[in-house]
Amino acid sequence: MTSHPPIPPSPHPLISLNMTTTTLSPQTASVPKLPPSTHEFAEIIHRLEAGSAMLPDTPENLMQIIGLYKAYAVPMDFYWRDLLYIAEQVFLEPLPFFKYFISKEYLERHNHYAGDDADLRIWRGQATAHPELMAFIEKGELQSKLPRIFHHWWHDRINMEFAEECMRAMLWHRKMYVPVNQFDPYLDSDEYKQNADRAIRAYFEGNPFMLGLYKLFPDMFLEQCRQASYYANLGLFWEVMAPVFFEMSDLYDEGKIASVPDAMNFLVNGIFAIAGRPIYHHVYIKGKCYEIIPKSKGFTWLYEAALPYVEAVFYRTSPFRGTKSYNAQAGEVPADQKDFHYGVLYADKFPVGTAGIPPTLLAQDMLHFLPQYLLDYYQLHCRGENDMLIQLAVSFQRSMYCVTSAVIQALREALLYPLDDPNPKHLLANRKFFEAQLDRFKRPEARLRNIQSQNYR
Amino acid sequence: MLSSLIWLPIVGAAIIGFLPSRFSTSQIRTGAVWLSGAVLLWTIWLLTQFDIHNPGLQFREYLPWIETLGLNYELGVDGLSIVLLALNSLLTWIAIFSSSVQIDRPRLFYSLILLINGGVAGAFLAQNLLLFFLFYELELVPFYLLISIWGGEKKGYAAIKFLIYTAISGALILMGFLGLVWLSGASDFTYQSVLGQTLPLSLQVILLGVLLVGFGIKIPLVPFHTWLPDTYVASSTPVVMLLGGVLAKLGTYGIFRFGLGLFPEAWAKLSPFLAIWAAVSILYGAMAAIAQKDIKRMVAYSSIGHMGYILLGAAALTPLALVGAVSQMIAHGLILAILFHLVGVIETKVGSRELDVLNGLLNPIRGLPFVSSLLILGAMASAGIPGLAGFIAEFLIFQGSYAVFPIQTLVAVIGTGLTAVYFVILLNRTCFGRLDNATAYYPKVLWLEKAPAIVLAILILFLGIQPTWLVRWTEATTTAFVAAIPVTEPSAPIVQAMPIDSPRLPQ
Repeated sequence: MTSHPPIPPSPHPLISLNMTTTTLSPQTASVPKLPPSTHEFAEIIHRLEAGSAMLPDTPENLMQIIGLYKAYAVPMDFYWRDLLYIAEQVFLEPLPFFKYFISKEYLERHNHYAGDDADLRIWRGQATAHPELMAFIEKGELQSKLPRIFHHWWHDRINMEFAEECMRAMLWHRKMYVPVNQFDPYLDSDEYKQNADRAIRAYFEGNPFMLGLYKLFPDMFLEQCRQASYYANLGLFWEVMAPVFFEMSDLYDEGKIASVPDAMNFLVNGIFAIAGRPIYHHVYIKGKCYEIIPKSKGFTWLYEAALPYVEAVFYRTSPFRGTKSYNAQAGEVPADQKDFHYGVLYADKFPVGTAGIPPTLLAQDMLHFLPQYLLDYYQLHCRGENDMLIQLAVSFQRSMYCVTSAVIQALREALLYPLDDPNPKHLLANRKFFEAQLDRFKRPEARLRNIQSQNYR
Repeated sequence: MLSSLIWLPIVGAAIIGFLPSRFSTSQIRTGAVWLSGAVLLWTIWLLTQFDIHNPGLQFREYLPWIETLGLNYELGVDGLSIVLLALNSLLTWIAIFSSSVQIDRPRLFYSLILLINGGVAGAFLAQNLLLFFLFYELELVPFYLLISIWGGEKKGYAAIKFLIYTAISGALILMGFLGLVWLSGASDFTYQSVLGQTLPLSLQVILLGVLLVGFGIKIPLVPFHTWLPDTYVASSTPVVMLLGGVLAKLGTYGIFRFGLGLFPEAWAKLSPFLAIWAAVSILYGAMAAIAQKDIKRMVAYSSIGHMGYILLGAAALTPLALVGAVSQMIAHGLILAILFHLVGVIETKVGSRELDVLNGLLNPIRGLPFVSSLLILGAMASAGIPGLAGFIAEFLIFQGSYAVFPIQTLVAVIGTGLTAVYFVILLNRTCFGRLDNATAYYPKVLWLEKAPAIVLAILILFLGIQPTWLVRWTEATTTAFVAAIPVTEPSAPIVQAMPIDSPRLPQ
């Protein structure tokens, strides 16, 4: 069993089978006031201290982030299913041509956080794949029912490349948050190696060529197995996020999420409600389940998936996004991976328009599922339909700043003190924490400054 | 028949100028587009009626006017003027089409443009020296007003500079014409009657020199070019299209018609110097263009270089080079018009013409991909890339002039290489690279704004692939020009090196 810091109970008793939202209590008059922060982002720090988000609370911002959550959640509903399909079924297939051709079983697989039989019902909708997703898989952008392979070749599909890029970012940036995060040390443990070995031998049973290669290059196979474990990790992470976003979209439509802090607090509460969700990796070979990472290891959603995900995808990723050429020899790429800052919070959301760049492909995916109010909104700005891909990518960046705010608030809640703590020293500790977090956005390429204004589109 | 090309736009200009105020800007614009479209259609019809094998004047018109002065209303068209008329009609239509829908004082603007159209057509058609001069001067004031009212930064300075230079040009030309008629004792200013006169060679050289400077200012040739960058940069897009595309051609036309046509002997004598002058102009224009930071100014300097090719072709005096030179007038007119139009669109959308500011405009989502693509095409055409009109003209000139002036031709070829250099600089900075997201909120380019460039691009491409449509009109006329040159001793060995079918060869 791993040893995490205790996951605090939800700060507000609102995570239940019927989730509703309340806001984190802002500072009240009775709470001692600290002198104003002198940080570059003092205004944003004061906002965080008041229980709000890094993103300014405006109806326009709220509409954009919720619309994007919805547009993101539909492809995400495919991502998590396919990631688990690859981790559990495709596994080490040397020629995985059909890894994106997800089986019916996985499309109908019940989400643990949606539907009537949910472990914890976050979304009030169905447990199987989202209806818009099913409609898109059937007819695609072409709006014609062709064999799936034609849609695939025409790139008329959900682009899993983005999901795999996120998975790979987590794999490349392993060992984040160690020792709290025990997932990575476990991937290097003898126990994992034995489990993986059993699965690899079973998978290639009767295939002397692959088994011979395995004997010659065992580490290569092991590394592929670790990658498969990360497929499972991210799949299990997103299985939670998709219903969270669906529910937020529904609540917004119902008028129950009415501000950016509402949205953020829903996320904070969601994070705590599902923080303990087990992260594991099971592989199914010839109908038999091989537990490469058993649930009993006690890896949790918050520490082994969510936090590494945020760090790897929101902050770091890699300098291979296709939107800019970096010259490593000229020192444009940091020597140390922890100094990488190419993630969504820093990225220039400006796809060059060529195919194959994961962020562009994600934008393409989300374009198919934008709610009408956002389509109308984008039509009114910049070049309307012609540059909707960029406009929505910028909205996506805003929405991810909201998610990051939720993570920062959740970490503060888990590791530090409530916002309305009467002890000034505690409040000072909170402030230092916020300031340290915002220090990461002092870099010139960070988009925190941009998202403060609506002119950034 | 020919008078329609002069009086239709001039009468149209008068009507548009006095339209009542209830007509909106867009209605006036539409009227001007239709009117110039009618002139263009008339020109196209004229092209279909034109006998390309006849080197002489066609569709002649004659009306006595002030006979005591020797000034008569005499019009005619040959292979040289017909193509320039077509260019004039086309570019006027395009200039009106590419003008802003919300332009200030539309009545005056469109009247002036139409007035210029009529004046330039008159100059190309006039077969009387004084009549030519009248039309030549007629465009001066409209251009001055167009620059000083609708121009950009430093428009006042540019307009005055333009006025002074071109007025001097006009005075010199008048001086040349008067000198020619008085000294030769011709009965009037009719082109044909002046043509037959003989003057001592030294006098011819002096008079030709006066005309060369006069027309050289208009073209312009180095060192009379200093008005050009300021004027071109300060002018609005439709005006600069006409300045570069049409007005400069008045200068080259004048050199052909009145320099080469009236003083063939002196021309043959001066031709080595003219070729050197051309080579210097080409090199100077190209190098000055390389040094520019403003893309409009860069295109303006490119024009100086490209006009040098025309002089080189004219100086070489071979049928091929002359056909090339006339083709270059057309190709240059089309290419310069598309370049200035696209630069104008970029300036309107991006708000800058600075090379250091512009970047990544080829970006398909937020850039100006269509405009950038056409800019690349225009630059390729200007740099003489095969398959485009610019190549045909330059190749003909080089092919025709190398045997006569090998060194000057090679220098000109280097100039073409330098053209590629500055256009690569322009394209590399402007179109390629990375568009800055922080500033890239440019408005869409409308179809209306793309249409003129599309028409020009199609023509440039078509004439590049089917060059016969570029040269067929002028071949007979330019061959006649060459035939009129007396074969003198110094140029005899040169003649031997010319194409075997040259009419100058002893048959």
